[in-house]
Amino acid sequence: MSMTGVTYAFLFISLYFEVFLLVAFLERRFVRVSRQRTPVDEATLPTVAVVVPCFNEEITVAGTVRSLLALRYPEEKIEFILVDDGSTDGTLSTLEQFRNDSRVRIFTKENGGKHTAMNLGLENTNAELIGCLDADSVVEPDALLHIAPVFENRLISAVTPCIFVKEPETILQHLQNVEYRLSIFNRFILAVIGSVFITPGPFSFFRAKVVRELGGWRFAHSTEDMEMALRMQHEGHLIANAPSAIVHTSTPRTLPALFRQRVRWTYGWLRNAVDYRHMVGNRKYGNLGLLVLPSALISIAAGIYFFSRIAFSSLISLRDEIIRIQFSGLYPHASFDLFYFNTSTMLFLVLVSVGLILALISAGSFIGTGSRRPPLSTPLFLLFYSFLVPLWLGAAVVRAVFKTGVSWR
Amino acid sequence: MRTARWSSYVVALLITAAIFATALYASDYFNNRRIAEIQATQSSISIDILSLETQFDLLAEHSCQDISENSVLSSEIQPVGQRLAYLETQSNVDQAQLTELKRYYSLLEIKDYLLMRQVTAKCGLKPVFILYFYSNKGDCKDCEEQGYALTGLSETYPQLRVYSFDYNLDLSALQTLIDIHDVKNQPPALIINGKTYYGLHTMADIKKILPQLATLKTATSTATTTKK
Repeated sequence: MSMTGVTYAFLFISLYFEVFLLVAFLERRFVRVSRQRTPVDEATLPTVAVVVPCFNEEITVAGTVRSLLALRYPEEKIEFILVDDGSTDGTLSTLEQFRNDSRVRIFTKENGGKHTAMNLGLENTNAELIGCLDADSVVEPDALLHIAPVFENRLISAVTPCIFVKEPETILQHLQNVEYRLSIFNRFILAVIGSVFITPGPFSFFRAKVVRELGGWRFAHSTEDMEMALRMQHEGHLIANAPSAIVHTSTPRTLPALFRQRVRWTYGWLRNAVDYRHMVGNRKYGNLGLLVLPSALISIAAGIYFFSRIAFSSLISLRDEIIRIQFSGLYPHASFDLFYFNTSTMLFLVLVSVGLILALISAGSFIGTGSRRPPLSTPLFLLFYSFLVPLWLGAAVVRAVFKTGVSWR
Repeated sequence: MRTARWSSYVVALLITAAIFATALYASDYFNNRRIAEIQATQSSISIDILSLETQFDLLAEHSCQDISENSVLSSEIQPVGQRLAYLETQSNVDQAQLTELKRYYSLLEIKDYLLMRQVTAKCGLKPVFILYFYSNKGDCKDCEEQGYALTGLSETYPQLRVYSFDYNLDLSALQTLIDIHDVKNQPPALIINGKTYYGLHTMADIKKILPQLATLKTATSTATTTKK
């Protein structure tokens, strides 16, 4: 297949996936996105354990625990299991400040990774539901009251929340803020079509019984939240989304930090996809197997391909421009001749694709905030973020191929 | 077993196909408009050349001033050449249509060249023509650079007439021109003052070969004359 053929094939698949999600969203628009909490009978609420795995989180964990203590939930039905996973800073002493609260239990152990902290929490609770809250995230007071009632449906084994970027300051954090709106939409619509493949660390909840039956959390290439979701889907459990359960999570401030985080996520996703490869393209797993997993994998290849192609074309254009100046002595000048405006099919398709992404961001904003208005930094996101993403996609693919492993920090 | 809602797959497929079809149609529509624009310009140039030829025949040497001042090449033919070169880089352009445009363009260039040769001979002007033969079949590694050098000269000296020809274009008049000047298939080839030069020639090289360039009006200067 020629380069043009490959480009069109990737564009078609990307557009098809975006259109599919929008169609699914519009078809199921009767699935209400309500921010109003329906009154709940406290007597029927399940018991809940929230595990907070901490490794060197002395700066952020106090805010995380305070937000948990402020949760509206019957005190006798909730416990907070704070696990110091072998921190070398003042995390443990920070946690000790909260020991006097009857809902708090503190554990300390040798460093073993997040999955071991979660399993420690699982071993030490009799609660019906178990959830996780990363030590760099805070929850809104009503969040759990939006999540717990979803488990009244006996078929549902896990519920994911609605995640926002916590107090974005740097340009990079503002770009991530837009990206998270897109994720809000994706998480919502993937739950609607039964295809969630990540139960994110900030405030996802599980039926404790199901997690025990499944054997607890695994290391899973440093992405236990993806592996758990894939394992649940593999065993036929449903994963729902509670878009009104609001969580704010800290995001990387700098490009190197963001790069490390995303390489870890993508690496983990690729390695888990290999582990669960029998689900890819398998209609037994419905939309997840037929469309979502293949599209997620293809999107990585497409991202790297488009970036490489644009980078190569830009270099060629730059070289041509230098040669042109060298041989003609003429410097480039702005031309407003309509004749030379790019009207290629490729450009039209790229513009439509960008328009669809904007629609998805707007839908994500609506689901998360009730307003269709995307964040102000959306134009910057649309212009520049797609040039950043392939950097970590490429690095993650190389690491996944050579199975190098990734570190959390 | 999970279920997949097939209607969603079909609807998404139809919408995506419709988006692709619309993009193809839109691109095709704009390319056709470009081609129509070039065709209209070429028709207009053709009439202008015919008119100048007729005027020249009617008035002979008395019209020298008018003819040289009304040369159509630099103001109209050259932009058409640039536009054709741009269309050659566009993937969705109908190649058969584009080749027809190039054939017509080359014919206009030859007619303009012949007319200007008569004018220079009869009116006693110094010839400032360059015939340039290139190839875009991938067998001419210096053609791109040669094109840039000639563009630079044309922009600097608006009165310089550069006639560019695709060596491989299937046009009998062009083949005759090639035969008359005995141009070998070794592009880039330049014909300056009746002599053929092969290989890359920079702006400085051409200025040496064509010293009368120095007497031409530059894009930023004022009055000079090409008259002997």
